[in-house]
Amino acid sequence: MRWATRAGCHIDRAACAWLIRRFLDPEAEFVFVADPDEVPADATPFDMRGAELSHHQGDCSFERILRRYHLEDPVLWDLARIVHEADLADERYDAPEAPGLDVLLRGLSMVRGDPEVLALTGPLFDGLYEYRRRALLLGREPS
Amino acid sequence: MTVTGRSRWVLLSYQLPREPSTPRIALWRKLRRLGAAQLLDGLVALPLDARNREQLEWLADEVADAGGEAAIWLAEPATAAQERALAARMAAAAARDYQVLVEAAHQAASGSEAPAARRRTLARLRRELRRIQARDHFPPPERDAARMALAELAATLNTSSDATSEVRR
Repeated sequence: MRWATRAGCHIDRAACAWLIRRFLDPEAEFVFVADPDEVPADATPFDMRGAELSHHQGDCSFERILRRYHLEDPVLWDLARIVHEADLADERYDAPEAPGLDVLLRGLSMVRGDPEVLALTGPLFDGLYEYRRRALLLGREPS
Repeated sequence: MTVTGRSRWVLLSYQLPREPSTPRIALWRKLRRLGAAQLLDGLVALPLDARNREQLEWLADEVADAGGEAAIWLAEPATAAQERALAARMAAAAARDYQVLVEAAHQAASGSEAPAARRRTLARLRRELRRIQARDHFPPPERDAARMALAELAATLNTSSDATSEVRR
């Protein structure tokens, strides 16, 4: 399936792409557009104004995708807390990891194009998922 | 962002139903966190960059979700004087916030709090400094004063971070 989002990916779009590829559509192909009008007819838009899979009711797009596809994995919701604060910093959640992650993604997007940002952040989110999975199982930060 | 040459701005025009008040309050909080300047009732502005534009676009969608109307505009003040006045107003608002921080830091540095309590105060003030910096688009001199005051407070705790590292950030 094809998925479309705005060019110039930061935290929310990179995290959504990882989420889509790992949990919804392993064959996902991503298209980056400058304007919502450029979304191909066969692509599902995300993190774009007017799209269903975008910011609504104070949720960021990552949270929206979890709700829309009924992904109830508590680890993903724990990641959503971090992604939300890295993207919006509205202090809805306590996520001390968020400012660091935001800076890493911003810096990466300065030196790499969108396809490469997604390729490089894939393993980063895999690792974050594993870390938070162990933290939730242990009830404390894993060593 | 220079204050001399005219630059571009992103504007959000919006109208929300009077009731319920929750979305109005949520919007007001978010605009404050972004450091948006209220130009008129229902019209706010931020210097144009990708992040500011994106953040205002999300708020426009939230207004629509709450049953209101909103639009995003890219604009340029017609005169340099108009822009200077706006930037000066925004800088003055940030300056007041920094000043409060300076006073709190001085008070903590000269107070009789135990080191543990003082360390907690320092952590709280550092978080507050980050929040102010995030909404400060035209840094006034008070920003450096606030950084310096926190560095001095940190120095009274003999932490390993030297006073100058705070200032450099």
